[in-house]
Amino acid sequence: MSKDVIIGLETHIQLNTKSKMFCQCPTKGSDEPNTRTCEVCIGAPGSKPRINREVVNKALSVALALNCEINKRMTWDRKSYFYPDMSKNYQITQYDTPLGFKGKLKVNARVIRIRRVHMEEDPARLVHAGGDIRSSDYVKVDYNRSGTPLIEVVTEPDLRSPEGARDYLRSLLSILEHLGVFEPGDYTIKSDCNISIKGGQRVEVKNVSGLKDVEKALTYELVRQRNLLKRGKKVKRGTRQFSPAGGTTYALRTKESEMDYGYIVDPDLPWLVLTNKKIRRARGSLPELPAERVKRFIKEYGMNKEQAHTLVSDKALADFFEDCVKGYKDPTRIASWVDTQLLKCLNYQKQTIRESKVKPESFMELIRLMDKGVITERLGKELIKDYVSTGKSPKELVEEKGLGTLSDKELKKVVKKVLKDNPDVNIKKDKKSINYLIGQVLRATKGQADPNKIRGLIKKEF
Amino acid sequence: MIVGEFVKKAKKGKAGLEDFYVKLFKDLKRINQEYDCFITLCEEEALKQLENLPKGRLYGVPVSVKDALCTKGVQTTGGSKILKDYKPTFDATVIKRIKDEGGVIIGKTCMDEFGLGGFSTNCAYKVPKNPCDKNRVTGGSSGGAAVVTRALDAPHIAIAESTGGSISSPASFCGVHGLTPTYGRVSRHGLLDYANSLDKIGVMAKSISDIALMMNVISGFDERDMTSRKEKVPDYTMTKSVKGMKLGVPKEYFGKGVAKEVSDLVWKGIKKLESKGVKVREVSLDMTKYSLPSYYIAAMSEVSTNLAKFCGMRYGLELPLKKEGFNEYFSRVRSVGFGSEAKRRIILGTYARMSGYRSKYYLKAMKVRTLVINDFKKAFKRVDALAAPTMPVIAPRFEEVEELSPLEAYKMDLLTVGPNLAGVPHLSTPCGELRGMPVGMHLIANHLEEKKVISLGGAFNE
Repeated sequence: MSKDVIIGLETHIQLNTKSKMFCQCPTKGSDEPNTRTCEVCIGAPGSKPRINREVVNKALSVALALNCEINKRMTWDRKSYFYPDMSKNYQITQYDTPLGFKGKLKVNARVIRIRRVHMEEDPARLVHAGGDIRSSDYVKVDYNRSGTPLIEVVTEPDLRSPEGARDYLRSLLSILEHLGVFEPGDYTIKSDCNISIKGGQRVEVKNVSGLKDVEKALTYELVRQRNLLKRGKKVKRGTRQFSPAGGTTYALRTKESEMDYGYIVDPDLPWLVLTNKKIRRARGSLPELPAERVKRFIKEYGMNKEQAHTLVSDKALADFFEDCVKGYKDPTRIASWVDTQLLKCLNYQKQTIRESKVKPESFMELIRLMDKGVITERLGKELIKDYVSTGKSPKELVEEKGLGTLSDKELKKVVKKVLKDNPDVNIKKDKKSINYLIGQVLRATKGQADPNKIRGLIKKEF
Repeated sequence: MIVGEFVKKAKKGKAGLEDFYVKLFKDLKRINQEYDCFITLCEEEALKQLENLPKGRLYGVPVSVKDALCTKGVQTTGGSKILKDYKPTFDATVIKRIKDEGGVIIGKTCMDEFGLGGFSTNCAYKVPKNPCDKNRVTGGSSGGAAVVTRALDAPHIAIAESTGGSISSPASFCGVHGLTPTYGRVSRHGLLDYANSLDKIGVMAKSISDIALMMNVISGFDERDMTSRKEKVPDYTMTKSVKGMKLGVPKEYFGKGVAKEVSDLVWKGIKKLESKGVKVREVSLDMTKYSLPSYYIAAMSEVSTNLAKFCGMRYGLELPLKKEGFNEYFSRVRSVGFGSEAKRRIILGTYARMSGYRSKYYLKAMKVRTLVINDFKKAFKRVDALAAPTMPVIAPRFEEVEELSPLEAYKMDLLTVGPNLAGVPHLSTPCGELRGMPVGMHLIANHLEEKKVISLGGAFNE
């Protein structure tokens, strides 16, 4: 974190409503272009938008979860600009009266102020045939996306590093998932990232998807801007595009001044009125949010703070954990296995728990194999790698590989053989040499024996 | 024959509908040749409709429709070249309701381009001529509707639309009845937008009872237009006694800019109503002088966003492609496609909502509009209805209109923009002639009180 870096994010999140914002077309379904459209979402002359209450309800839960103040009377506004992805050449959004404002979100003990939360419609999707916006000869338009509900969450310039920006987004995402308004994978989250460093002007990197790319784009910008200033050059105000392939940004346009969107009230839509009662009721029915869940994990499962944060930052992971501990006596053991071994493997596979084949039942099978002594902890830590990558039942994996703890009789045989092969080693003369012998036995048994048991057997032999 | 009787006859099978329609289209073609009132005649479609006509409240009734309403599969241009050959994929709600009641759509009538005009001279296609004097304008923007209503002898009702006076002006100039309902009383779904917060679909006819009949069919809530009103629709054909009704005469509507001969004729009309037991008193509408600028700023701001979709991307003309960006292409399409009044209002409207001017013009106009509404509300606490001249003059000659500056032309709307801005129902009914040209009297009532003006109009024409 550095004090001279100022970052603010405007994040657009697609809400997982059944139908679009102003018509009844489904938000998800066929991927065949232009099959989920109607006169409203293609902006046909004479069509009129109709507000989908599910959008308002879900957006309201987000604004409340981000501790926003709520506007009780809102207009819908037209943001006018010409662009081929907008059939009407204006976007229905909220300008003067955003749903929520003056919110805050605590991220790693820092409070990030939320400037506003508002609702707006997603434009159509442009398909740049055979390349990107710079190299493609022509563009196709898919209106399936047109009219998908978005919420835009705008922070104050309170972020100080690319990592901090990513952490903020992860916290935001976790809240959205806990609210049940967003599903990663099926719906998108995109941010316009504003970054400036002392001595330079503000640069906006448009439309960066997900979390990791936001961190990458900002990191690249930080380096680029630092280098410019170092060489005595200026960082000019402008808009840039992130290229995920190269991890770089390139200039889209230099803004001499703000774009003028000529906002007016959308006269097709009546004022949106939220009564105190409705707001109270919405607040009352908010589900458990990440901050509360972290506290509960610490209290209920005896986790340490970091463990709780790690698990809750991904709702699916926290849910997975809670499924696992149901009917299991030692939640701390599960917490530590999830937090360390499982996450290590998932990270190695570059997967989230949601994307992976890991399921609570099979994962608990692995834990119970160790509990029953069928395999050792040590072997468990090896086996989990295969389990995470294949998703196969741990029991089957054990059989397939011919693993499993050796019987006492077999183990005794191995111990005897090792001692015979190492006649010079005498643990009575040199106490530490027992560790060498244990190591030899473990190697010979491919880890299928408990080191403590081996220690006992060796002592007995002497 | 009033339309109600024609329907009765037709339902008994005594109207000889097939022969009637053969003759009707002969007449329509003759009238069209003489006065240029249709952009599209729907002979084939009408005959097809006859094959399977629902025996509803409009059974067999010829209905002409202003070209601003979407008709499925039938060219709908909004009077603009930019929408030449555009065939909507759906019927406007009003059209659907008419067809469901057995009304037959006979054609799409001429209008100022997108309703932008008061004389029907801003036409991309034909300029309609006044049936009372072919050297004079019809009034606008629903000029074609008034011409058909006036010139056709057969039973017929016209669907027109008003934003700032587009029903009253041609009704007055051509000597027919024209009702502009309360904003939201009739669904706007399927209406090409001029200014959505002001647009009102209404009716023109040769008799007040025809208007009432049509209002019964087209009024009422529509889930496809969120601004449509949910209040129950009364039976407009059941008029009430006007005896004891209080009629206000707003002094501001008889002042500067209104021809004395016109005022005198309207006063004669008011006296006639008085003789039928109506109580007349003078009232004041203090905000009258602000309604014109407030109306034009609001309407232009809205229309400049509504017309943005006509850029050659999804809607609007298609021109041969050149090596150029989309901005250049859109500009070319709009330069060729729009007429000069449309361009003027797009530019003025865009200006009025630009940042820096937005609060000075657009937002201020919105505030003034509230004052105008309150002005009317205040008056309707004292009286049931208001009476005033509809237009300050009789229909001008074409060459007179040509000499008017845009501002002078806008000033002709002096008396109609007030009730339109307030969204209150108003009826223009002929109240006499000056040098062979009709003069219209305006009867204005409070929101949702169409019945009062229908009753007053009925009593006046008894």
